[in-house]
Amino acid sequence: MKRNKTRAVSVALAAMFLTPALGLLGGCGSDEIVLRVYNWEEYIDEGGEGCYDADFETGEPTDPIIDKFEDWYAKTFPDRKPVRVEYSTFGTNEDMYNEIKLGNEYDLLCPSDYMIMKLAAEGYLEKYDESFFDPSIETNYYIRNVSPYIQKKFETNAGLETPEGAPRWSEYAAGYMWGTTGFVYNPEHVDPEMLESDKGGWQTFLNSDFQRKITAKDNVRDTYFAALGVVFEPELKDLRRQFLDGVLPQEEYTRRITAIFNATDSETVAKVEPVLKNEIKQNILGFETDTGKADMVQEKIWLNYAWSGDAVYALDEAESGEEDEDGNVIEGSELFLNFFVPDAGTNLFFDGWVMTNHVNLDGTGETKHAAQAFVNYLSRPDNAMRNSYYIGYTSVIAGENLEMLGYVEDLYACEPDGETETVEYDLTYFFLGEDAEDGQVTITAEKENAERRQLYAQFPPKDVLARSAVMDYYREDASERINELWSRVNSGELDEWAIIVICLCVAGIALFAVSVKFGGKIDFFRLKPKKGYRLVEQKRA
Amino acid sequence: MKLPRFTRKSLCIPYAVFLVFFVIVPMLVIVFYAFTDQNNNISFSNFIKFFSDPTKLSTIVYSLVIALVTTVICLLIAYPIACILARSKLKKKFVILMLFVVPMWINFVLRINALREIFNLLASIPSEGDWWGSWLTGANYFKTVVGMVYDFLPFMILPLYTTMMKIDNSLYEASADLGGNALTAFTRITLPLSMPGIMSGVTMVFLPSMTNYVVSDMLGNAKVTIIGKFISNYFGNDWHMGSMVALVLLVIVFVSTWLSGGFKAEDNVRGTNL
Repeated sequence: MKRNKTRAVSVALAAMFLTPALGLLGGCGSDEIVLRVYNWEEYIDEGGEGCYDADFETGEPTDPIIDKFEDWYAKTFPDRKPVRVEYSTFGTNEDMYNEIKLGNEYDLLCPSDYMIMKLAAEGYLEKYDESFFDPSIETNYYIRNVSPYIQKKFETNAGLETPEGAPRWSEYAAGYMWGTTGFVYNPEHVDPEMLESDKGGWQTFLNSDFQRKITAKDNVRDTYFAALGVVFEPELKDLRRQFLDGVLPQEEYTRRITAIFNATDSETVAKVEPVLKNEIKQNILGFETDTGKADMVQEKIWLNYAWSGDAVYALDEAESGEEDEDGNVIEGSELFLNFFVPDAGTNLFFDGWVMTNHVNLDGTGETKHAAQAFVNYLSRPDNAMRNSYYIGYTSVIAGENLEMLGYVEDLYACEPDGETETVEYDLTYFFLGEDAEDGQVTITAEKENAERRQLYAQFPPKDVLARSAVMDYYREDASERINELWSRVNSGELDEWAIIVICLCVAGIALFAVSVKFGGKIDFFRLKPKKGYRLVEQKRA
Repeated sequence: MKLPRFTRKSLCIPYAVFLVFFVIVPMLVIVFYAFTDQNNNISFSNFIKFFSDPTKLSTIVYSLVIALVTTVICLLIAYPIACILARSKLKKKFVILMLFVVPMWINFVLRINALREIFNLLASIPSEGDWWGSWLTGANYFKTVVGMVYDFLPFMILPLYTTMMKIDNSLYEASADLGGNALTAFTRITLPLSMPGIMSGVTMVFLPSMTNYVVSDMLGNAKVTIIGKFISNYFGNDWHMGSMVALVLLVIVFVSTWLSGGFKAEDNVRGTNL
């Protein structure tokens, strides 16, 4: 009897707690589903006047892509529940990871390559349906349009040596944007030929001609990568020679340089540390997060280690100035910056869409369906163009009928007019895949643009990608080792005189504070009285 | 059933709730993280690692020095200003005070950015062999301290001004009457009576300038690392070590507050601890 009573109470209590929860679930489950998307800041076309497909003549602003998706979803899948997108943004992969780890619920994320690996390994992610990769379905825009080159990178884990049984990216991730890293440089002060020489490449970081005229990134991953480039440049160049001579096949070459750029064992860290701390840090102006672009435009620095998307932005910004009739710059600046990727190898990065386990919480598959539809919608060539134009990074989408080529031509193609030197720029690898014969997909572009400017940065030639490596995440003990390295690199070392001054100051202040605290009176001076007065000695109690 | 009576104490409930959720619980969480490892087992490894690592200790010393220098400079600038303002017979001295306080109302990142641009401009002044430009470009610590002083000066002026305003003018008259000269008046009246103001000003400048790494990042090109930056770096990857650093900072804050008498509830301190 008593037992029954307890049970009744607990049922009542449970009901009390569950009712609001049920109400909530019912509330959103009945007529629409909510898709919670977590993306980088400024990483999707938010509509407005300057969009790629906006009508420039009427100045008619376009709707944000997210709004358009909701309409498209309702129209395309009339028998599904309508979807509402809850969109939020993050600033760094680590911020996003912490949010996920703390249990914040998002359905669709857009992390970078290494973070996808980490999230997948820790079991936060949900695999895409097999039907997502079926090109015969009309609305599977992703698999129908993605660049075969990029998709192959995803399917082969981009040459990373992964432990046995580690998940493949392609099962969990659909690509969004990609790029490389390199130096934005000011050709008025930096000789492009020098960059190709032995003092150039990664050694540029150590080149005393550019003392305090070059910056590195203020995050451990990119700077450690660059330092590895500096330290292992001879080995990397040697591998490249072997590759160019045909001794080393592409696959093996990628595997070897990827291993070098992902070395985090204590021996390597010990080798990199003095170079990073005593040579690179002393030669560069500093570590920057987003001041590099502005500093380049103002010519405060001559070289800036940058991601290709940021590089395109900096190049565009620097030359956006307007001239008056006499050719004087009246607004902004007219500086023509260039972009350079070290010969020895560079970083290739991706950001991709992944679904978290939370898509299954509704138990009906509706959320998962919506999440995959969202990825597909973004992958439709017209939307990929919009996003790419808005963000400045390069979309993974090539288009089944090479739609993206139209976009590249729109931005970079030029008619040979006899004055400017032009070249046939080969993008076959991106549009048709690595194994396709070269020369099938080309555009006619300015030589300058194809060799060291926007086109080169945004759609690098096959040769640049041949020597690029993807970054893995730092596994267990490597993570701590690299963090400690970074804190040692960051912190300064004290000179002796500084230590003495500090000790004196601290001791003085502490003594003063303690004496005041325990009743001492502040009485620094015994002063002479004014003329005609006499000091009367005070008796202290 | 008797309803609980509404008393003056009930007015404290919102504050108590605030205190528990936003002060005590977060602090306990920090302590928890500081003394656990990645698998949430109790561990002192972070503690040992922290105090056996010279780079972490020297970062703390660096932050202390930067904070100390900032505080001293702020005090040297603010004290005379507050003195003059408080004792002057100007009718519009409120306006002058406002001139020092108004910058506080402008977003501080914006101001630091502007200062960065000013330094860029200054560095471009031509000089023989460009010694000036290259010195200023590399003077990361100097620029950081200037930025800190610029940022925290109002926090020093305000408490000093309010305490000095409250000093009774008849004390000065008495001092003059009894033969004290201006210096005597200063050492015997102004300085002792403005001590609470100095203390609260020092606390308000010293502590934040140990952690305000936006200034050191923007003006010191991220080559100057203070303890706040350390904490932020660690919180990207390792919350446990980050919490340990935060905890050490907390202890430093606690000790310096105790030394400066911040826990005493003296009458003349009232209103000066802003």
